[in-house]
Amino acid sequence: MIKIKTFACIILAALMCSACDDFLDITPTGKVIAKTGDEYRALLTYEYKYFVKDRYMTVVRTDEVVMDKTKSSSTDLDAYLDLWRWIDDAPSPTTTYFSWRTYFHSIYIANYIIEHQDEITEATAAEVSQLVGEAYMLRAYCHFLLVNLYAAPYTHCSPATTRGVPMQLKADVNAVPGSSSVEAVYQQVLRDLDEADKYLNVDVWEEGKNYRFCGASVALLRARTYLYMGRWADAFDAAQAVIANHGELEDMNSSDVLPNSYKSVENLVALERFSSNLYTVINMPSPDFVKLYRSGDQRRTKYFKRVTSSSYSLQKGGNDEFSSSFRTAEAYLTAAEALARQGEKEQAVEYLKPLMQKRLNSSAYQTTLDLIADMTEDGLVQEIMDERAREFAFEGHRWYDLRRTTQPALVRNYDGQAYTLQPAQYTMRFPSSAVSANPEIERWEN
Amino acid sequence: MYENIIMRRISLFLFILMSTVMVLAQERVITGVVLDGEFKGEPLIGANVTVGQGQATKGVITDLDGKFKLSVPANTQKVVVSYMGYKSYTLKLKQGVDNYKVTLYYADKSLDEFVVTGYQQIDRRKLTAAVSTVEISDETVGAVKNIDQALAGQVAGLSSVAASGAPGAPMKIRIRGTSSINGVQEPLWVLDGIPMEGNEIPAIDNLNDIDDIYQTSIAGLNPSDIENITVLKDAAATAIYGARAANGVIVITTKKGKAGRPVVNFSAKLTYNPRASIDRLNLLNADEKVNLELDLLQSSYDYRQHKGGVANILDDLGEFDAFKAGGWDALTPEAQQRIDRLRTINTDWNDILFRDVLNQEYNVSLSGGSDKAHYYTSVGYYTEQGTVKGVENNRCNITLKTDYKLNSLLTVGASVFANQRKQESYMTDAAGFTNPVYYSRMANPYFEPYDQEGNYVYDTNVQGRESEVPPFNIFEERNNTSKERTDRSVMAIFDAELKFNDHLKLTSQYGLQHDNYTMTRYAGHDSYAMRKMKEYATFMIDGERKSIFPDGGMNKQTEAHTDQWTWKAMLEWNNRFNEIHDVELMGGTEVRHVETEIVTSTAYGYDNRTLTTQPVLFPTESIGQRYPLYQEGHTENAYVSWFATGSYTLLHRYTLGASVRFDGSDVFGVAKKYRYLPLYSVSGLWRGKEEKFLQNVKWLDELSLRASYGLQGNIDKNTSPYLIGTFDKTSVLPGYIETIISAENAPNPNLKWEKTKNVNAGLNLALLNNRIRLNVDYYYRRSVDLISSRQLPLESGFASTTVNWASMENSGWEIALNTRNVAVRNFTWTTNLNLGFNANKILNETVAENSTYPSREGRPVGAIFAYKTAGLDSEGYPLFLANDGTKQTAAEFFKLNRFGASTLSAEEQRNLYTYMGTTEPKCSGGFINTFEWGDWQLNVNFMFNLGMKVRVQPSYSPTYYDRGLNTNHDILNRWTPANVNSTLPGLMVNTAARASEYTHFSEYNTYSMLDLWVRSLNYCRLQSLRLGYRIPKRVLEPLGITSASLSLEGRNLFVMASDYDNYLDPETMGNPYAQPITQSFIFGLNVNF
Repeated sequence: MIKIKTFACIILAALMCSACDDFLDITPTGKVIAKTGDEYRALLTYEYKYFVKDRYMTVVRTDEVVMDKTKSSSTDLDAYLDLWRWIDDAPSPTTTYFSWRTYFHSIYIANYIIEHQDEITEATAAEVSQLVGEAYMLRAYCHFLLVNLYAAPYTHCSPATTRGVPMQLKADVNAVPGSSSVEAVYQQVLRDLDEADKYLNVDVWEEGKNYRFCGASVALLRARTYLYMGRWADAFDAAQAVIANHGELEDMNSSDVLPNSYKSVENLVALERFSSNLYTVINMPSPDFVKLYRSGDQRRTKYFKRVTSSSYSLQKGGNDEFSSSFRTAEAYLTAAEALARQGEKEQAVEYLKPLMQKRLNSSAYQTTLDLIADMTEDGLVQEIMDERAREFAFEGHRWYDLRRTTQPALVRNYDGQAYTLQPAQYTMRFPSSAVSANPEIERWEN
Repeated sequence: MYENIIMRRISLFLFILMSTVMVLAQERVITGVVLDGEFKGEPLIGANVTVGQGQATKGVITDLDGKFKLSVPANTQKVVVSYMGYKSYTLKLKQGVDNYKVTLYYADKSLDEFVVTGYQQIDRRKLTAAVSTVEISDETVGAVKNIDQALAGQVAGLSSVAASGAPGAPMKIRIRGTSSINGVQEPLWVLDGIPMEGNEIPAIDNLNDIDDIYQTSIAGLNPSDIENITVLKDAAATAIYGARAANGVIVITTKKGKAGRPVVNFSAKLTYNPRASIDRLNLLNADEKVNLELDLLQSSYDYRQHKGGVANILDDLGEFDAFKAGGWDALTPEAQQRIDRLRTINTDWNDILFRDVLNQEYNVSLSGGSDKAHYYTSVGYYTEQGTVKGVENNRCNITLKTDYKLNSLLTVGASVFANQRKQESYMTDAAGFTNPVYYSRMANPYFEPYDQEGNYVYDTNVQGRESEVPPFNIFEERNNTSKERTDRSVMAIFDAELKFNDHLKLTSQYGLQHDNYTMTRYAGHDSYAMRKMKEYATFMIDGERKSIFPDGGMNKQTEAHTDQWTWKAMLEWNNRFNEIHDVELMGGTEVRHVETEIVTSTAYGYDNRTLTTQPVLFPTESIGQRYPLYQEGHTENAYVSWFATGSYTLLHRYTLGASVRFDGSDVFGVAKKYRYLPLYSVSGLWRGKEEKFLQNVKWLDELSLRASYGLQGNIDKNTSPYLIGTFDKTSVLPGYIETIISAENAPNPNLKWEKTKNVNAGLNLALLNNRIRLNVDYYYRRSVDLISSRQLPLESGFASTTVNWASMENSGWEIALNTRNVAVRNFTWTTNLNLGFNANKILNETVAENSTYPSREGRPVGAIFAYKTAGLDSEGYPLFLANDGTKQTAAEFFKLNRFGASTLSAEEQRNLYTYMGTTEPKCSGGFINTFEWGDWQLNVNFMFNLGMKVRVQPSYSPTYYDRGLNTNHDILNRWTPANVNSTLPGLMVNTAARASEYTHFSEYNTYSMLDLWVRSLNYCRLQSLRLGYRIPKRVLEPLGITSASLSLEGRNLFVMASDYDNYLDPETMGNPYAQPITQSFIFGLNVNF
């Protein structure tokens, strides 16, 4: 009797052992290790969704925005006042800072996709290739933004010996990188763009998915990179390549769609946006800035709404519709600037015309053409810079344009005190959280 | 039950009657005497002497001399002798011997000879492991509300620290120091053999997280249901629990019914807690605060200069600039008058925010049983109000325990522990200042919360922001917000024991734990919390700025439940060969499954009177996603384990033991072969007293030596070698919903098991008729591949990851000395001194290349490093003592660049620190004295922790001191041009000359790392002073009461400590948000029927 019971126990235990592995095979709800093409896509979509909005935050540092003790909301003042009046040494602790880690999280995922491309299942070769291409583009764009936020402008330093930013080209959480030179970062951006070109096979994504990087955007980022480097001929070639394939512009004389909408015909990549509180709260376009628009310019009335005689509110933002990172107008303005800077005035004007035609009413278009015809070469360059300001108002181009060109000493007045932007302040210092987590990035001997 | 017992007694009586009249053939008459082993062999009157089973039972009871005479069938082998409360004795009849002498001992005493490990009952004489047992009763541990409080100062090597004095706040318990750094450091709690789920105390990341109310599952147990607690300390004891036992095991044994008539026990406790005085905080009074503000306005320190009552008045009258330029004399009489009026107001925040409370606790239990069954039933209720108004905690318990001996083979038992707990507290804001404890320190002494009509006055200074903020008033907040948590928990344990014969038994246990809680967080329309929420949810909608939330409040409900089941089965075999070889073997398996689900739903526009809500109209999908109205989470884990133990004892004095366990679990994304790590131990015991040469040494009662060696291990389940993501749904552009995978946890392909090798050696010594008992244990633990979280360079894309970072050793001594100092006829004095000395050393540590904080290699794990200062310079900035002995400014010491960042490498920065000491006590323990005089009993219970260092928060920040807040007196002693001899840094201003230092002190944590903020910590607390009185039997007998006692106890009456100026209590020193640990006075009544 006892023996039988004991035996039964042993059998039971043996049965249990074999059942254990099944018992222990629990996939945690909601958790996943990416394997399929869809899952890799979802990893990348996360990066798009939470892509840094620093380019839009630079608006606060330019002459596009005013802040006012009585009119600005308290949350604005807490978050942006010190950023706006350029108090960069020990700003108030409530100040919102530019990002750091988020860039590198995107870069990590980009590297991860690039490294795992051969392991992606349930996806066609074209889908995998597109994913990898987007990853290269993502890495290039993040490094590009970082070097233009945290390192001296390429055009105002000796790039090969000036401290740039750290670069991450591997998905390795244990690496402790130092900073690379400005030149090295730019070269890496250009190399990544070349790689992206090889892999991307979607020229422009359809509406709704057009926040994703696409073939057309590579050329436009290349044009922007060369422009920021002051390599005019290369910038022109790249911009020309965009215009050749995607020359469409939104006609503001007839269309109600704003050019920075993701629905606009000129949109290539609708990624960065103002959908954080930022846009709705920093909603005070500078009246002086609005004066840059000539009468008859559709943008003045469509971008801005006059609230009182001296204040405006912004209409080209406020919800997710207004997402724009790359659009065709930039190609025209880049081509025009590159030509003008090389002294080819007539040709430059030819690239300005199509844009002006779509932005100004017909009479203003004519008077502006006449005005431009009388301009000197320098005057034309200035006109193109102003045109960039007008076109891309509040889209996060202005800060980069100012820092790569004249670095004007902007002036603010707040609560009876005046503040001046020093040229050195066109380069942000590394966030102290990043420096304390890795002092190596700040060390530069040259 | 009563009827049952009466019936049984009648039948017994009948049997006795019959046995005297019935004359049967072939009988034999046995006689004998039953003696009381507890009273020097006095005869035991009325003991049962029975023979046979069931219907055939017959027996007699002993007479006044303890004698009996019983005729039994000639072939009878055994006679059972029993007496209520005593352990039954089975008398084996021998041929030809008809007269016997039997001595009975207390059932309790004999239980004490066994140690309950949760898997087995081990005979103390074979115990090779380091364990301590604490009997839980008011006499031994005092009036504790939760069982975790009972252990403070009771067990050598166990430290127990309160994080907060809030009702229901758990204790932080550590056994033999810290072994694992990451994740769970709590010991494993085991209730009657079943490990309990849900006892991890969440790590406090932000100091104000202390307000998050949570409940551990042990908090649901009623201390009065507990018989004793056994603490398993070394590997020999814990190896059988596997990986979960890496931090030690605490085994709770609950009370069970004893054979005999039903016993009813009633106990009641009334507790009075006076509010804690905040005088120790040394806060500024109104006059001092006004003077400080005036001084600061005259100085160049301009951080938040429009804050504070003085600036408020000046701004109101438009005289701010006039004062800055011309000082006091430049002010109008009105301004002077209004400022002077501030000096006269001294709002006593302590008085209006805190209260004295009276708390109650009641327990009733009914227990009893027979040879065949035992029962224990209890009901308990306890309610505790916090000294912080609005904080409350209560608990109701029901416990049912029964066991039945079905036949000679099978015993089954079932117990149910059910409880409901309710906790009420206040809502706190992320900024922390709405916490009343914190607010009482930060609010200005001249601020009055009500105006003359009794309307709320809003405090505009406390928010820690300069700009306009939503109005806040602490009383309005308290009236319009609440946080309530209700826990319901049921734990059921079924066990069966199949005893095949004296050598072999099969036991099985099935435990079911179901915990659920509902948490309700409510913020009314008229509350700062709601106003702030609305402001943060303000968007541009149709060209207009407005909040997306409708009018009204918010009601957030969280429902969570955890279900655990554990099943285990064990086969135990023991035998004795040739009278000298004892062998015990046990093998078994355990399967466990835990499932947790949590659902949170949020309603806005909530009106708590009508219980109506309003829909939220989100302008866009992405805004809607930020305010989820419904969230759900689900986790599931499964474990399978095998274990075995064995022991061999030779000549009753040499014992060798071993145990091994394999743990398997469902670690996601790990190869199957890594699922198991065998954990084992080997151990030995020598009982010297049994040796011939010691047997005759009269003064020596026990001399035993123990030794064990074992391997413990732990793995971090949250870190995977793979990039693990979490699914979510979102829309990037309007109208197009997509799946995203968020992967915000850094993978680590190199992560290994954390392993601890454990050596223990112990000595048990009892001298002079057990008047002196000494237990000494020495342990050495060497842990390798310790798992810890490490900060990553942010360029990795992640903030931190989990790595195997170090190896560490812990070694220490534990001494428990129990002495019976005086034992005369009416008076006894016993002392229990327990001491733990733990030395901890990091053997090697891979310091991350990016770390600027030094390696602890060669130092304890709790090492504190700080920058040595050398006074202040001529502008009140700290001077640093460099390695070469020179005094340097921060700019020189750190080689700062113009952005205030150090240009030194991480390694060079590490070398700037100096070692200050460790946060872990060098010596901790308890000193308990018990005096008994007749019916009076006095307990004096001290606990102490010595030799620690603690890093406190700086009293004020030199760059960000916010004059809108109150602070302690340190600010008055700061460096100023008029007070150049101060040791406390002055307030700094950003000047071109010292911009880099200013930025550095503002943005880096250098200031809080100065040696100024490291203090020595030694304290000794009078944990309990208790006077008990047993009401004499002669008073009680006429009332039908068996026994009754009264007690008066003072808990936490005083604490002696070094250097805790500006803090309420040395234990909660570091956290200004923690509710203070208050004194309490308890009146207790305990009655047995």
